[in-house]
This record gives sequence, structure tokens and C-alpha cells, in this order.
Amino acid sequence: MESLSDSDIMENVRDGQVEKLAILFERHHVKIFNFFLRLTGSHDLSEDLVQDVFIRILKYRSSYEGKGRFTVWMYRVARNVHVDHLRKNKGTYNLEDQFEEPESEEDSPMHALEQKKDKELIQKALSQLPVKKREALILSRFQDMKYKEIAELFGCREGTIKASIHRAVKQLGEIYLELQGGVPS
Amino acid sequence: MTCSNIQERFVEYLTGQLSEKESEEIRAHVAECSDCRRELESLTEIWTKLGVLKEERPGDRLRTRFYSMLETYKLAEEEKIRKEREGLFSRLKNLWPRKPVFQFALTLGMLVLGLVIGNVWTVIPQQETVNTALADEVQTMRQTLAASLIDQGSASERLQGINMSYTLVDPDDKLLDKLLSTLNSDPSVNVRLAAVEALYLFHDHPKVKKGLIDSLSRQSSPMVQAALIDLMVSIRERRAVDALKSLLEQEDLNPEIKDRAEKGIQRLSF
Repeated sequence: MESLSDSDIMENVRDGQVEKLAILFERHHVKIFNFFLRLTGSHDLSEDLVQDVFIRILKYRSSYEGKGRFTVWMYRVARNVHVDHLRKNKGTYNLEDQFEEPESEEDSPMHALEQKKDKELIQKALSQLPVKKREALILSRFQDMKYKEIAELFGCREGTIKASIHRAVKQLGEIYLELQGGVPS
Repeated sequence: MTCSNIQERFVEYLTGQLSEKESEEIRAHVAECSDCRRELESLTEIWTKLGVLKEERPGDRLRTRFYSMLETYKLAEEEKIRKEREGLFSRLKNLWPRKPVFQFALTLGMLVLGLVIGNVWTVIPQQETVNTALADEVQTMRQTLAASLIDQGSASERLQGINMSYTLVDPDDKLLDKLLSTLNSDPSVNVRLAAVEALYLFHDHPKVKKGLIDSLSRQSSPMVQAALIDLMVSIRERRAVDALKSLLEQEDLNPEIKDRAEKGIQRLSF
């Protein structure tokens, strides 16, 4: 059986078959969760934000036009959810919540500790990037988005995105080095 | 190609979005240019470092929350639709008059309206149309069959054909001609008598009337003559008087027929 495209399903949801949103949830919730996780570094917060994304998709389903890829529209909703969260919390994440480690690897304590440190450091570096650069970088590095799609999502030219991501990686490297210098290894 | 042009494509190079030819250009450039090589190395390092942020699985709680949210939303939507319907119903209810007199008047009006619609919209005419069409078809079939049976060799088949013509409401000219010629020339007396009876049914037809009167002088069988005389009298066909008179002039006329013809003339003359 040929499976329906995301866009077809979303059109069904828009036209009243809301239960079909479950298919889109199953297809995309892990990806969106990881988008938020890399953006915020918080497991719990990312789960909340994913829930918000699907609530908004339902709420604004009638505005879905079916043009372009569904994922572009979905990430637009996700970005708005994230921005609104930042606004509500005045641009900061709950520090206690941040950089939490959901599961620890007990089998190799030294290695696990090293990895945990690495992860914390890169996550911290990421969080110091300006939001837009961070988003673009994560979308490109982790979410399988092409420059063209990211440009569509941000509403700007492809060339701008290209340059922006390049600068983001460069800047991230600098922040990382700085943090590494400040953290005894 | 300038260094900044090359460097702008480093991320694409890292994500594998470049063609083989473009990737080769990058490799060729960094082999020559140490600045760009260092730049690519540091970018590659951080790009690779990002890999420690492995994809994680959200907790089961997320799925549970999503499905209960979806269920709640669906229920709320159904409730909304139900309320809209109720709203429509209550608006209709507001149209119902408060005073019993008006209630009665409205009910009566509805009843009359119902009767009128029922009368206009009744199903019976449609059924009749169907039945008429069917009856027409049966009629045509019988007509053809009767005509073909009358043409047959055996007397019993000819009788069957004539009997069949009894059931016809409005036989065509062809069949009437056939019945009249049977009346005049069929060798069997029984068949001729049956033809008289069949033609009696269609005596309103001008052609039949004339044919019956003309036939009177041609018949030799007293039984057929008697049947024709009775028929003329019963349909009160005054024009038959002349035919009866000329019948009386026949020399070898059966006395019984003579008597019957005289009585017939008397009854038709008054």
C-alpha cells in the first residue's frame, strides 16, 4: 500500500479528519523533539514544546495551504513555539533543567563522564549562539533540511542562509574553544 | 575562485550537498591555500563535535499526552458541532407560536400543505405511466400474435387467434380487416361465429359496422346469419334494416332466419 504524503494527511486533518494527526505525530515527533533538545538542552522542556507544536497544528490547521513541504510548515510552527517560550521566560532557560542527562551509562564510568562533559560543553556553546543562527545550524546539521528549505522557512534567500550557517559554525567553534579554555579538562 | 567563495561552501561540503566536481574544487583549493585549510579543519572539528549530540528518544509520557490531547480536541469539536445543531433547533423552536390559537392555525396550515404536496407528489401517476407503457407493449404483442394465429391452417388455431383478439382494447386496422375477412370467408362455421363475437366488441369502429352489415348478405350458414341479426338488433344499427330486407329476398332462406330477420327489422324500425 502506498503511504500518503505528509501534505495529503495534513490536508485531511485540515478538512476535519483530526484523528489523522496521529500519523504525523508518529512520523515526526522524535525529530521535532531532538530539534528542541539541541536548541534548549532540556529533555523535559523539549517534550513540552513538542506537545505545544501539535496543539498549535490543530489550532491553526485551517491555515494549512498545502504548498511546499509539510516539514517546512511544521518547523515554522516549532520555531514560533520556541520563540514564544523564550519570550515568556525572558530569554533564559531554567538553569536547573538545562543540560540534564536523562540516562547515564554506568558500564564505563570514565568514558561516560568524558562524553557527558563533551556533550555539556557543546550544548552550552550552542546555547550561546544567537537563536536564529542556532536554529539554522541545527536544521542543517541534524534535521536533514536543505538550504533551500531553510531559506523558505526563514523567508530569506538561499545565499543568506549559506553564509549565515557558515558563520554560525565558525562562531560555535570559537565559543567552544573559549569554554574549553575555561573548563579544566 | 576567491577564498571567501570557497569558505562559504565548506558547510555544504561537510553535509555532502556538493557534487563530486565541486567537492574536488574545494579539495584542490585547500591543498594550495593554508588559510582555507585551517578554516576547513576547524569547521570540520566543530561539525564533528556536534555529533555527540546524538538523537535521543522522548519519554513515553509525550505520546500519552499527545493522544489524550487529540482525544480531548476531538470531543470538543464534536461538542461544538452538537451545540451548533442545538442552536439551529432552538431557533426553529422560537418560530413555534405561544398562543394556542396560532398553534392550531399553524398545525392546520401544515396539514393542508402536507395534503397538497401529497396530492401533487403522489407516486400513483408514475406507476400508472409504467403500467400503461407495459400494457401497450402487451397489447402490441397480442395483436401480432392474434393476427398470425388467424392466418394459420387449422381451425383451432384460428379460433385461438380470434379469442386472443377479445382481450385487445384497441385493435389496429390490420387485425380488424383480418377478422372481417375471416367472418366472410372462413370455411369453418365455428370460426365465423367466433369472429362475429369478436367483432361485436369492436362494433363502435365505423369499418366494423359497415363490414358486419355487408357480411349479412354473404353468409350462407343459418347460425352465422342468426348471430349477425342478433348483433344488429342489440347494437341498434338502423342501417342494417336494408341489409335485413335484402336477406329476406333470398329464396332458400331458413324459415327460422326469416322469422328472426323480420322481428329484427321491426325492432330496429321503432
